[in-house]
Amino acid sequence: MKKLILLLTLCLMIILAALPAISFSEKRPTLLTLYEGPRTMRSSPDASVSVNGYDLFVYDVMVNHEHIWNANTQPVTTPMTYFDFEGRACIRIEMPGLSQPVESAVVQPYACGITPEVLDGAVSFTITEPGQYTVVFNGSVNKALHIFANPPETDVPDPDDPDVFYIGPGEWVMDAIALQDNQTLYISGGAVLHSIISVANASNVRICGRGLIDGSDYPAWNQAGSYARVPIDLNHSRNVSVEGIGIVNSNCWNLNSYSSKNVTIDNVKIISGRQNGDGFTFQSCIDHTVTNCFARTWDDSLVIKNYSGSTRGITFQNIQVWTDLAQSMEIGYETDKGLTLDPEISDVRFENITVLYNFHKPVISIHNSDDAFVHDIVYRGIVVENAFMQGDNGNNKELIEMTLQNSAWSTVRDEFGSIDNVLIDGLTVINTIDGKVPRSRMSGVGEDNMITNVILRNVRILGEPIVTLKEMKLSVDDYCDGIVVE
Amino acid sequence: MKRVLTIILAALLLAIPCFSVCEEAEEIETIVTIVTAPEQTQAQRPPCFPDPADDYIPLPESENLAQGKPVKSGAHTDVYVDKNVNDGRTDTYWESKGFPAEITFDLQGLYSVSTVAVCLNPSSIWEPRIQEIAVQVSLDGESFTEAAAPVKYQFDAATGNRIRIDFDPAKAAFVKIVFTLNTSSRTGGAQAAEICIYE
Repeated sequence: MKKLILLLTLCLMIILAALPAISFSEKRPTLLTLYEGPRTMRSSPDASVSVNGYDLFVYDVMVNHEHIWNANTQPVTTPMTYFDFEGRACIRIEMPGLSQPVESAVVQPYACGITPEVLDGAVSFTITEPGQYTVVFNGSVNKALHIFANPPETDVPDPDDPDVFYIGPGEWVMDAIALQDNQTLYISGGAVLHSIISVANASNVRICGRGLIDGSDYPAWNQAGSYARVPIDLNHSRNVSVEGIGIVNSNCWNLNSYSSKNVTIDNVKIISGRQNGDGFTFQSCIDHTVTNCFARTWDDSLVIKNYSGSTRGITFQNIQVWTDLAQSMEIGYETDKGLTLDPEISDVRFENITVLYNFHKPVISIHNSDDAFVHDIVYRGIVVENAFMQGDNGNNKELIEMTLQNSAWSTVRDEFGSIDNVLIDGLTVINTIDGKVPRSRMSGVGEDNMITNVILRNVRILGEPIVTLKEMKLSVDDYCDGIVVE
Repeated sequence: MKRVLTIILAALLLAIPCFSVCEEAEEIETIVTIVTAPEQTQAQRPPCFPDPADDYIPLPESENLAQGKPVKSGAHTDVYVDKNVNDGRTDTYWESKGFPAEITFDLQGLYSVSTVAVCLNPSSIWEPRIQEIAVQVSLDGESFTEAAAPVKYQFDAATGNRIRIDFDPAKAAFVKIVFTLNTSSRTGGAQAAEICIYE
């Protein structure tokens, strides 16, 4: 009898614990904002997506499955869609663009714990949290669907404010937009803007919205007659924020910041498949914070360099990356392109970074190929879902690489720098290309140019804890000291 | 008593699935906002950015005597060679290496010139700047006289990033443009995307 009462009590507790969810769903309906695509464009024929029974407009955006540099590479397309919601969103997908019916589907990041239902070629699953979700079909990354489920917009600027440029839904084109002090550019959801945005020598500038900046109207920057049209280019500016928008089909790199200070970037989504399509790339910048963003790129995804001065105080946090070419988290190669006095790169943090796929070169890399002092670098909570580095002709396929050697991108060739005090705390690799632990490498140059005090902690690869250099397959040369796996 | 409790327990256990998250889309109560797209047949300029072309500094409608003619300057920066100033394109430009910077056109004939226009790329990403410019003319390409004294001109995308220098008509087979200042933060030399010469 006592056992029965205990069991009954437990059941009641379970029900009581479930009540908040019940009351949410019953009393607070889901808030959903959908954006029609421009009337000048058609929704992708490759994918049909609905949320809570409402059809979404699906964009075809450029990506690239060629995992080796090719100056004349030709991108392909993959479907992408977005909406805003709060509550529960039941997503249903059909993929007529695939050559085979959908028989299986996986939702990434794996940590979201979603097991989709696949029934009669249709995929469905429910999400309760805003975020970036990628669906891979039939075990192939071809036509992987990117879904950007944004939180509802807040703090939408007033279109009547004389300092606000308000771009509504629709397809828009203009050569360039130069923002000046105290100006705001709003790109509404449903807008596709063919332009570039320059913020030069300006302060207190905001770029926000849910719309897309689309560079598809220009050939790749390295092709005859073309030139680099950087979708968002911050130059010697301060107090800039970029929020909520998407950047697709850039003809070069994507969100660039040069010698700027106090920049915040939140919920920005980049998908890029063309030459030198780096994602978030900062040169000689101070105090930049990038949060809740997504970068699928055909060159380095998260990049820090020195072009004319030192770098300090850069944080990447809660980011998903998919790197089809080059490195996922790259410091370098240029660390003193501007030939400055005592260049440094310091206080850089990569936190809660999920690498969905890394297909080419190292996932974590510090290539100090000029003469900078690179120090106080933290990688914390790094999850590599698919570490598929194929490298270049057998080289550059490490998981982690830190070097001080010259490279093709070196400006300073007769002097070298150093790397000191690097912490990698929490590195999980779920899948590798061959089911084995990938190699890693650290290489200094001489007694005065060393890599020192690098700690790897809480590393798990293929489900196994890694606690020694040998298990890590980490090679260190004579000019490394204090390299510890624990 | 035991039986009653068993029935209650069974009823509670049966009720639990009803309380779990329902995955059927039509069963999720949704307040939807659909942001509609405007009627368009082609991509347009955003209305919040009026076309500044109406405010561009007007240029003469007569023949541009400089276009395609031989041109010569001193040292240039990087790839920004002098032939870019009369190729008919404002997305290419000449940039000198330092000041003073001179660029000379061979008009391949004798003309009575009275206007010179200096144009930058009209894009607003070219920041506003001032360039100081003078115009000299010559009949033989060796001996030049001043047609327009050095003046500081304001370049601004709002007016097309171009300026116009009008002066008394002067006979010329060669025209030399002399730059002595550029306030742009991105260069230490003179810049011009197109230089146009008119009678």
